[in-house]
Amino acid sequence: MLTLAIAPPSLRHTLMQGEHEVSGQDGLVLSTILGSCIACCLHDRSSAIGGMNHFLLPAPPNGLPGRSDDAERYGLFAMEVLVNAMLKRGATRSTMRAHLYGGANLHVGMRAIGSENAGFARAFLAADGIALAHEDTGGGDARRIEFQPATGRVRCRAVVGRLREEPVRAALPADSGDVELF
Amino acid sequence: MSIQILTVDDSPSMRALLRAALTGEGYRVDEAEDGRSAMEWLASNRPALVITDINMPRLDGFGLIAEVRAQAQFNALPILVLTTESSPEKKARARAAGATGWIVKPFDPAKLAAAVRRVIH
Repeated sequence: MLTLAIAPPSLRHTLMQGEHEVSGQDGLVLSTILGSCIACCLHDRSSAIGGMNHFLLPAPPNGLPGRSDDAERYGLFAMEVLVNAMLKRGATRSTMRAHLYGGANLHVGMRAIGSENAGFARAFLAADGIALAHEDTGGGDARRIEFQPATGRVRCRAVVGRLREEPVRAALPADSGDVELF
Repeated sequence: MSIQILTVDDSPSMRALLRAALTGEGYRVDEAEDGRSAMEWLASNRPALVITDINMPRLDGFGLIAEVRAQAQFNALPILVLTTESSPEKKARARAAGATGWIVKPFDPAKLAAAVRRVIH
């Protein structure tokens, strides 16, 4: 533990599926690797902060086409916690710019879950009035994303021939939506 | 005449999802995009329930609850908070301001419907 405490502060944070982070720290890079998952990078120039999430919608029941209600709620939650974290740090929806990455369809001939996830994120941004400045989604290759939240700069590289494993599709936690009456 | 519910959330996506869940249960849903718009709407309407987010521009959920409770005519109006926040401090603050209940997103339609039935008399 002592060695951790005296190590220089890391300026690179890796985001795993289901996580999000918002920061205005100079030099910080948020990094993630995406297959069919989506990362939304938000940057607000007026407040010099940015944030990124990394999510995958839950599978619809019985493999039915289209998005299930669960998927809709989960995706909305993943986007809303990111947007709320940005708003709390002084960003506004009208000054935020979004980049979308990921949503690859890793297996030819199988359900295009990557495209479905990208479509969800695009629809969310449109409905919530957040401008989509750049999108690099779909295709058959995984991507490595490096995002500087303070500046909004993004580097997206293909990770060819790797990441053939589908990530575990998210599910809503059993206690989600629990109600406490006072 | 169906029972009227006001939902208050700055996210159009969340308002649409709530509308789908509540109209599916037979309720009539009106919407406001923040606490200030909600107060303007409440000046001429008497819903059976308010469901509000916490983080909103102009007037947030805490402010909305306080302003509603400051009016005697809304003493008995149930207010459910629906939020991404889960901190005990914020929950306690909402309770002290006069909220009726606290629901953490992502909401579960069945649990939400059960809570709505319980607080609407």
